[in-house]
Amino acid sequence: MSAIAVDRLSHVYAGAEGGVPALEDITIGVEAGKFVVIVGPSGCGKTSLLMMLAGLRHQTEGTILCAGKPISEPDPERVGVVFQEASLFPWLTALDNVEFPLALRGAPRDDRRRRAEEMLSLVGLDGFGGRYPHELSGGMKQRVSIARGLVQDPPVLLMDEPFAALDEQTRMTMGHELLRIWSTTRKTVVFITHSLTEAVYLADEVLVMSARPGRIIDRIEVTLPRPRTYEMMATDTFGQLRERIWQQIRKAP
Amino acid sequence: MRWPKPSTVRWGLLVALLVFWEVMPSTKIIPELFLPSLSKTLTVLWIDRVEYAEALVVTLYEVGVAMVIACGAGILTGAVVGGIATLRNIMLPVFSSLYAVPIVILYPIFTAWFGIGSESKIAFAGIYGFFPVMLSTAAGIRTIDPQYLLAARSMGATLVQQITRVIIPASIPTVLTGLRLGGALTIIGVVVSEMLTASAGIGYLVSRYRTILDSPHVFAAILMILVLSIMFDLLARTVERHTLVWQTAGRRERGAPTAQASTLPAPAPV
Amino acid sequence: MSQAQIVAFRLALLAAVAAAWQLLPSSGIVDARLLPPLGDVLAMLGQLLGRSQVHEAIVVTASEVVLAFVIAVPLGAAIGVLAAENEYFGEIFKPMLFYVFSVPKSIFLPMFILIFGIGFQQKVAYAAFSTVFIVIMSATAAVESVKADHVLVARSCGATRTQILLRIYVPSMMPVLLETLRISMIFNFTGVMIAEMYASRTGIGHLIANWGENFQMPQLFAGVILLATVAILFNEVVRHLEARFSTWRT
Ligand SMILES: Nc1ncnc2c1ncn2[C@@H]1O[C@H](COP(=O)(O)OP(=O)(O)OP(=O)(O)O)[C@@H](O)[C@H]1O
Ligand SMILES: [Mg+2]
Repeated sequence: MSAIAVDRLSHVYAGAEGGVPALEDITIGVEAGKFVVIVGPSGCGKTSLLMMLAGLRHQTEGTILCAGKPISEPDPERVGVVFQEASLFPWLTALDNVEFPLALRGAPRDDRRRRAEEMLSLVGLDGFGGRYPHELSGGMKQRVSIARGLVQDPPVLLMDEPFAALDEQTRMTMGHELLRIWSTTRKTVVFITHSLTEAVYLADEVLVMSARPGRIIDRIEVTLPRPRTYEMMATDTFGQLRERIWQQIRKAP
Repeated sequence: MRWPKPSTVRWGLLVALLVFWEVMPSTKIIPELFLPSLSKTLTVLWIDRVEYAEALVVTLYEVGVAMVIACGAGILTGAVVGGIATLRNIMLPVFSSLYAVPIVILYPIFTAWFGIGSESKIAFAGIYGFFPVMLSTAAGIRTIDPQYLLAARSMGATLVQQITRVIIPASIPTVLTGLRLGGALTIIGVVVSEMLTASAGIGYLVSRYRTILDSPHVFAAILMILVLSIMFDLLARTVERHTLVWQTAGRRERGAPTAQASTLPAPAPV
Repeated sequence: MSQAQIVAFRLALLAAVAAAWQLLPSSGIVDARLLPPLGDVLAMLGQLLGRSQVHEAIVVTASEVVLAFVIAVPLGAAIGVLAAENEYFGEIFKPMLFYVFSVPKSIFLPMFILIFGIGFQQKVAYAAFSTVFIVIMSATAAVESVKADHVLVARSCGATRTQILLRIYVPSMMPVLLETLRISMIFNFTGVMIAEMYASRTGIGHLIANWGENFQMPQLFAGVILLATVAILFNEVVRHLEARFSTWRT
């Protein structure tokens, strides 16, 4: 059974003159434990699709199954979300931010503290729990967001351009870190990015979307072995994969 | 059904207000003592135009002098306080504490000192307008992007050149906002003080006709003050817009919440 | 410069003002009838605080201030939240509010007197009226300071409506809310003062206006010091809270 199954999903945003078609006939199956990256031109509906996977927005047509059950409401025990920009709450410390989803469920204080500390150390932020977001660097903030997305141990993690606001070097290290975290937790990850290098480096499979209304126009298997290393970026296979995605995006109408 | 455009609704509301003002009193639904009809108010204003014009001259004179004092002193003090870091750290919080005091309680002191003529109004309104001008000038000078000065210095600008070519032009936007607020406050200050104790001016007319329960004359004066303050606001905004064409969103957008937001002048508590 | 030095400078400044206020009149450089020495004023303040007439005035003024505040703040907040949350309503009213805002509220004081007379109600009504607009504006700003992203994150964590209100809206708005309380209290206090000074038979504002008319300078200055102290104290307490709730707001 696949972790995520999207079947003939379409979405139209209400608006003047009958609305804006944003997504059209999307069908995706993601196997459990896979790392899937979605790329596509700006405004093609990537964020919209992710919102629907997270149960934050309702599609006009089609179904989404997660672990065999339909998604209609946000369910943090099945799906964790990490947003672009650090969307941490500035009035909470890093630790309290990570605890937030557990606090909503009214989990016992000690349990959630322990769990949050585990998560912070998983993302390499031991000892930073007491800091407020404005006291953390951009990369550290994104680590906290990832910890928050993972704290309820959901089988699926959705990430919308999580590293877009970071500088290139931090971005590379964060990608590497993410793969390390992924390999220890074995989540199913759906990751959106504009960076083709990032896409190839991270993915088991890259889905390419067309310009609006967004459709899946290509599905590219990344055959590079795991664990990935920075050296692989210089290989021919890497270059060819990257080139193929670029060609697809470029010719996308 | 589509909702009508917000601007249409706004104009509609204005018209409705004017119609309400005209119809309710003339049909005696609202007693004329509470609200005389628009036409009656305008008629009274026209019949006694000489009296109102004379009062307007007095008020405008007081506003003019008070504005010169408030703006002059405000810009000077603001530049000094804002420009010198030590002074700024000591004084700005003090000024924003003082801002909590209802300045109107000082007015009896001014009438005792200067009498009930124009001098006490000018003194009161001058102080009233002084604070926002001073605070925004200080803020304007402080928020100048240090990069401008760095750039100017790297091109070999002298201190005088830095002041005339960088600091002054760069702080104009904030200062203008301060002048608009300060000007509005001086108008209010003059009118309030005329209403409290005076022997001339539009505010005085308001109070005098109120004591003899002559509502149409009261509302004629209120209408004049309304028009006066709205005209000043429009004028000031136009000047600001024309001066600020070059000022696109800068390093610190105006109105963006900053830590200093609370030390900036809040609008007139009157 | 260190914080201690700054405080020391401020205290020195205060001492200098106090000394000048005492010495200039008592040495005859300034006419003591126009500016009574600070010592005399403080002595008068002590006396006044013992008088039952002053006690009554304080009670009247305080109840006017509190009542007007209790009316204006929830009313203004409700309208402000509506203007921020309902786009259509907001588009209609926000530009209008700006104009209403730049109009001096005090010119409507005669209207309140014509309608309510010069009693308690008129002062409360006028003070509430002069405060409500700033509350509307600030409440709108407070709601708009809540980031859509934060609400989205909370929803993705499965937050209910109440949880979003309590855990996202309230902390996001807290600094602005406190600032609103502070500034609207300034407006409210000023409103009550003007109303009392303009036409009234009771209240501190009335006493002050009277002392001024009768040229009773020590009483007048004592009253001004009393009111200024109360206003500044309230303001500082709320500012202190504001600072505590907004350490993260940089
Ligand atoms: N709430 C909304 N109401 C109406 N239209 C919307 C809404 N959200 C998004 N859209 C439109 O739907 C389209 C897809 O938007 P979406 O944000 O999903 O794109 P995206 O692929 O994430 O873009 P980007 O790469 O720039 O983040 C866009 O044309 C956008 O204008
Ligand atoms: Mg997007």
